[in-house]
Amino acid sequence: MRHLNKYIILSLVFLTGVACRKEMPEINDPRNTISANFSEVFDSYWNGMNNNYVFWDIDTVNWDNVYKQYKPLFAKLNLNDSNDVRKGYTYFKQMTAGLVDSHYDLSFNDTWLADSFSINPAYQRKLASPDYHDPISIFHFYDTIPRKYLDRGGAIRGFTNTVDGKDQYVAVSGTIQQNILYFFFSGFALKQLYKTDTANGVKRVEQYFFDKLQNTANIKGIIIDVRGNGGGSLEDLNFLLGRMIDKQLDFGYTRSKQGNGRLDYSPWAPAFVTPQTGARNITAPIVMLADAWSVSMAEMTTMAVKSLPNGHFVGERTWGANGPLTGNLFFNGGQFSTDYINLVYTSSLMLKYRDGKIYEGIGFSPDVEVKYDKAALDLGQDKQLETAIGLIH
Amino acid sequence: MKRSLFLVSTLLFLCASYAQAQFEIGVSGGYNKNYLHTSTGYRAYTKYDALSGFTVSIPLQYHFNNWLAVEADPGYIQKNYEQERDHFFAGIYQKNTNSYIQLPVMAHFSFGGDKLKGFMNLGGYGAYWASGRIKGAMANVFDEGPDIPDNQQTYDYFQYAKAYNYNEKYSFDSRRDSRIEFGLLAGAGVEYLLHQRYRIFVEGRYYYGLTDQQKNYMINQIPRYNDTYVIQAGCLFNLKNIFHPELVTAE
Repeated sequence: MRHLNKYIILSLVFLTGVACRKEMPEINDPRNTISANFSEVFDSYWNGMNNNYVFWDIDTVNWDNVYKQYKPLFAKLNLNDSNDVRKGYTYFKQMTAGLVDSHYDLSFNDTWLADSFSINPAYQRKLASPDYHDPISIFHFYDTIPRKYLDRGGAIRGFTNTVDGKDQYVAVSGTIQQNILYFFFSGFALKQLYKTDTANGVKRVEQYFFDKLQNTANIKGIIIDVRGNGGGSLEDLNFLLGRMIDKQLDFGYTRSKQGNGRLDYSPWAPAFVTPQTGARNITAPIVMLADAWSVSMAEMTTMAVKSLPNGHFVGERTWGANGPLTGNLFFNGGQFSTDYINLVYTSSLMLKYRDGKIYEGIGFSPDVEVKYDKAALDLGQDKQLETAIGLIH
Repeated sequence: MKRSLFLVSTLLFLCASYAQAQFEIGVSGGYNKNYLHTSTGYRAYTKYDALSGFTVSIPLQYHFNNWLAVEADPGYIQKNYEQERDHFFAGIYQKNTNSYIQLPVMAHFSFGGDKLKGFMNLGGYGAYWASGRIKGAMANVFDEGPDIPDNQQTYDYFQYAKAYNYNEKYSFDSRRDSRIEFGLLAGAGVEYLLHQRYRIFVEGRYYYGLTDQQKNYMINQIPRYNDTYVIQAGCLFNLKNIFHPELVTAE
């Protein structure tokens, strides 16, 4: 006890050091925020992105600089002034312009923005691109291809409108020169529409294609046409391609956020297609037809087919939105809302192709490139489809 | 020249003899539990848990007198933790096994009798995050479970997306991971002089990390600190008594 005072002094020095840790920042759930002024609007959005956006690892946007630049700008705006609301919309557009996520879409609850388009950076980039072209008309697939390229009596087409009237799905199938199977569909809701009790136009086309796939004795090739296909349900990957393989088809990897830090990620989990019961192993060429308007699931399906030894891809570089989406809760990241923002529509997972490259924001390249040719299409000639047919022969 | 050499040699010999008289070296090992001091923010069904690990080290003590010594304790220590989800997401987890090479330096205060003594350690440490391993399970959206009938309830997320189990080396990200750690330590224990040549000890020690596991790479970054509780036992050897056993009996 002689040295008690020395122990006390040293203990005090120790306790002084204990106070050196950084304080925990208060991170609020963007859903539980208040849009009483533009500072709150900015903070809830910026923090939501800071913690939930899945592409910070590869994105070139400096989000800290965005904070430093735009926080003072938003602080000057008045949420109750329609001109300032317009200015805020412009700021949001500028802040997000370089984001690599090509699913990204920002829509607002503000009634003064009801007549404004949602902000879609990838679409803006497409519009500004010298290669930009409109999507191929749905009537080309629905009318021209059956009439000009599919065997007479060997073609079927149909469409289905969803109950809420928001979506329409179109599908066309048939044979080309008797033993090449062709299947076009405008969106990935194949399993959902097939499993419905009621008959619908797409289901009939699917049944036709599946029957041909199972029963055609000597299939020479299969053409899956996802040009203009905006994507959809991930379960269609197994539902469609799982019928054409007899063993698991690995084609890439996905990872999610695993913490609030921008660079907190889960490990890479394999992305694959699982063969379905009763599947027929197709060894003949399977050709994906995709273009700049093939998005998300259309791209993933193309990637999966390209991973097959008999897989080919004809057409154009795809849109470049490869990350699967689900609710924020499931992977602690991805899409979210705030009091002011209706939805920050963004991927939940990052996809890496089997070659180790991430094609988000870039698009997946064809092995046989055939550019969009408006003049030929106007004359009813589909050079991309013709190349696919030629590749099979 | 010869005279200078003789003087230096004599001084070195005297110092070495003195140092041997004051110097102890040993081995130590024990069990620890590491708590990651951080926050999950607003993440639902997500928490961090402490995980156990172990430590081994070579304590070196230099005694100034019978109540004060300085100790360095270089060694290996694990600072492990787990991130886990529960309720509907039960089964999703990741165990982080982190290996550090650590150098604690401390003042060693002793009190009590000749054979049985109590002691207290106060000091700091520096550590290098040498490697890591992650083991866990996550939902894989590409590995869908069997179709669930419309009238059936579901009980966990793995019914929709099967588990992907992994056990792999942790890949450091130089943009994020700060591999040097500094902190404070405090310990207390008892030691028993079994023999003039060596004594054994048991100690409880607490390592309080002062540096974030991450570099300062983003605004509103949630820091991560290691809090490590160790219970360890070891043995210290008196160098003088090992190299000059005859002096033991002379004392």
